Amino acid sequence: MIEVAGVHKGFGHQPLLRGVDLQVPAGRRYGIIGPAASGKSVLLKLFCGLLPVDSGEIYIDGTDITRLREDGLMPIRNRIGMLFQNYALFDFMSVIDNVSFPLVRRGVEHDEVVERAVARLKAVGLAGSEHKMPSELSGGMKKRVGIARATIAKPEIVIYDEPTAGLDPVTTSKIYDLLLADQAETGATVVAVSSDVTALMRFTDTVAMLHEGRIRYQGPAATLRDADDAVVRQFVRGDMSGPL
Amino acid sequence: MTVRPYIERLGARTLDGVDAGLALWGVFVGTFAGIIRGGRPKGEVVRQLYVIGNKSVVFVAVTLGFIGMVMVYQSCLQLNRVTGDLSQIGPEFLKLLVHDFAPTLTAMMLATRVGAGIAAEVGSMKVTEQIDALRMSGVRPIDYLIVPRFLATVIATVCLTVLGATVAYLMGGLTAAMSFHVNPDIFFDLSRVTPTHLFLGLSKAICYGAAIPIISGFCGLRARGSSEGVGWATTAAVIGSSFAVILIDFIISAFGLTVLGGGL
Amino acid sequence: MAPVGDTSVAVGGVLSRLPLGSLAMVEKKAGPGGDERRPTPTFAYYRRGVLGERYLSSVGASAVAIAREAGGITILAGKVLRSLFPPSMDWRELVRNLHKMANRSVPIVVLTAFFTGGIMVIQSGIFVKRFNAAGLVGWASGYAVFREIGPILIALMFSGRVGANNTAELGTMTVTEQLDGLRALAIDPIRYLIVPRVVAMMVSLFALVVIGDLIALGGGLLFSKLILGVEYSTFYYSLVDNLTPGDFLHGLIKAAVFGISIALTSCYFGVSVRGGAVGVGRAVNAAVVAAAVSIMLLDFFLTYLLG
Repeated sequence: MIEVAGVHKGFGHQPLLRGVDLQVPAGRRYGIIGPAASGKSVLLKLFCGLLPVDSGEIYIDGTDITRLREDGLMPIRNRIGMLFQNYALFDFMSVIDNVSFPLVRRGVEHDEVVERAVARLKAVGLAGSEHKMPSELSGGMKKRVGIARATIAKPEIVIYDEPTAGLDPVTTSKIYDLLLADQAETGATVVAVSSDVTALMRFTDTVAMLHEGRIRYQGPAATLRDADDAVVRQFVRGDMSGPL
Repeated sequence: MTVRPYIERLGARTLDGVDAGLALWGVFVGTFAGIIRGGRPKGEVVRQLYVIGNKSVVFVAVTLGFIGMVMVYQSCLQLNRVTGDLSQIGPEFLKLLVHDFAPTLTAMMLATRVGAGIAAEVGSMKVTEQIDALRMSGVRPIDYLIVPRFLATVIATVCLTVLGATVAYLMGGLTAAMSFHVNPDIFFDLSRVTPTHLFLGLSKAICYGAAIPIISGFCGLRARGSSEGVGWATTAAVIGSSFAVILIDFIISAFGLTVLGGGL
Repeated sequence: MAPVGDTSVAVGGVLSRLPLGSLAMVEKKAGPGGDERRPTPTFAYYRRGVLGERYLSSVGASAVAIAREAGGITILAGKVLRSLFPPSMDWRELVRNLHKMANRSVPIVVLTAFFTGGIMVIQSGIFVKRFNAAGLVGWASGYAVFREIGPILIALMFSGRVGANNTAELGTMTVTEQLDGLRALAIDPIRYLIVPRVVAMMVSLFALVVIGDLIALGGGLLFSKLILGVEYSTFYYSLVDNLTPGDFLHGLIKAAVFGISIALTSCYFGVSVRGGAVGVGRAVNAAVVAAAVSIMLLDFFLTYLLG
């Protein structure tokens, strides 16, 4: 469904991604892990065409999005829902306006928009906060609004950038349960990036590790701990000693 | 051998500058395309008019009022030194106001206030990834954010120029009357203002009103990092807008003098 | 200055027309984000006829805010003065700031001054063509540049560049609690941060106005030849014969005063920031506006005082 081939991306003179290859199968939950600042968020933005690649190709359902310009990317983005690392809620709109924004842009009927937005907010546990402004919400609540906004249009691909960073363990579990339930219901392809390896491993089918600009491991989450690669092993187990 | 790094830096800076210039041009063209496409939220232009226009009224009135007083005072002082005949001050001052100083000084004031405001707003959104979120929802940031501010600023600049000119003229007359005993009837003489003056003044106001939001929006969209990035964007916007105002003033004034003739 | 630089806006989203609390959205009270986040009134609000009352109270609120800011700036000025006699500040910071503010502003000041000189010439050119008084161009441009245009315009550019930058820096430091960190290390932020900046800004603006005035005249010289055909020597002599050093000094005194004003306002707004990235942006906006207004006000008073 999503295929990345030989992608390079750098900023200024700093190379970040040095030849990334990965495949995300349709309808599965795919996780990306790696050390801080390894380029995970950048990779996600490349999927959406929010940043241009230096070289390489990215195929979404067979279409090479690296060749497309802003106009051509619109229909692709219509099929993707994204949760940004810092939530990126529109701070000049209320919670319910934020959540309903994707639907409004797609021209859905007003009444239906209202119904679905209210339902979605209820599903993420924020019923009653419809008219609050983002500045009045806590971090966890903002994340949930972000999730509601990312999923309300029932996109085929959902991308979560650090869905549980900075949240307490209980909230983390609740959020992953929510993401699991969503995906089970819609059968969407999910890509999640997280620094919380343990929780992510429980949530995803397949995991890839990004290290020094390349994918070092791509395979089932279950066998991650015992991977061949020493770097991967050390990272996942959190060992102090090792190649990292 | 030590020259090379300087040349490299100069070359890199030039390339960056060309890059930025092209991006700015892109925003300029994109804004006009956006006006036609009409992707802006309903009522946004009016709301921006309120934020940009209404809220600048006091600011413009106060500053232009003081400037009017100072300019008339200085001119009277100097003319007294040279000729002692102050009867021409009023009409000449009005002419200068209409075709140059009112639009330019109003725009300089707006460049600081509105330019900083737009850059800060758009810059904060860029830095908190709201711009990316807009793009993900199929919205063109230029259409949604910059176009309404563009239209509002053009309208506001023209209106505020008129206001500023009026206030400056009135306060100037007051100063002349009180400090130099110039008869108000002689001062307030509108007969010397020609359509050419109005044309020049109006075109300056419109160009300034166009330049400020485009440059400020552009700087905002390029903000990077966090609050520091927003600060940089705001600084760049104010400087860029102010300098653009001066440059446009120079070009249109030169055009006025050389092409439209000294009949001014 | 409270409503100035209001970057928070409430768009009447689709759902604000909902019965489900649409009016509630408009009248939303302040939340933990502080009352800067109150949505601006939509048209529904105006139609309800409470405009007059609202207007008066907002005028009053502005007056209170302006008074508060003026008071704060005066207090800051007092603290800065105290640190100047005897001079005890961080000298390294002073030099660093001087370099940052003065050196780096030279290009933009030069460019601005050059074209401003040209504009002054063009404006005087109108008189020249009518009265055939080529001998007046030097005098007219020089007079305007030295006494008014030079100090004001350069001060405005300086405020936009250095003042805004300064507010942003201090604002970021405040937001990231670096000022508290300094105090915890028993370093007085006023002595270490603020005073060097104030002194540096005053000295920088002074120097920049001197440079700018000369460049403006240079630009005037060039453009009067190119556009008006006035000989270089005519321009020069007309300048030198008619203007006194007093005129030049008039402008320099203004420059010094503007420098102090810009420094104090930018530092004050930087240090009193609240609210993260958005707060910093708002503070920069407020600082720049306050500086511009104070420049105009001071110019007015100084013009009368200095004759």
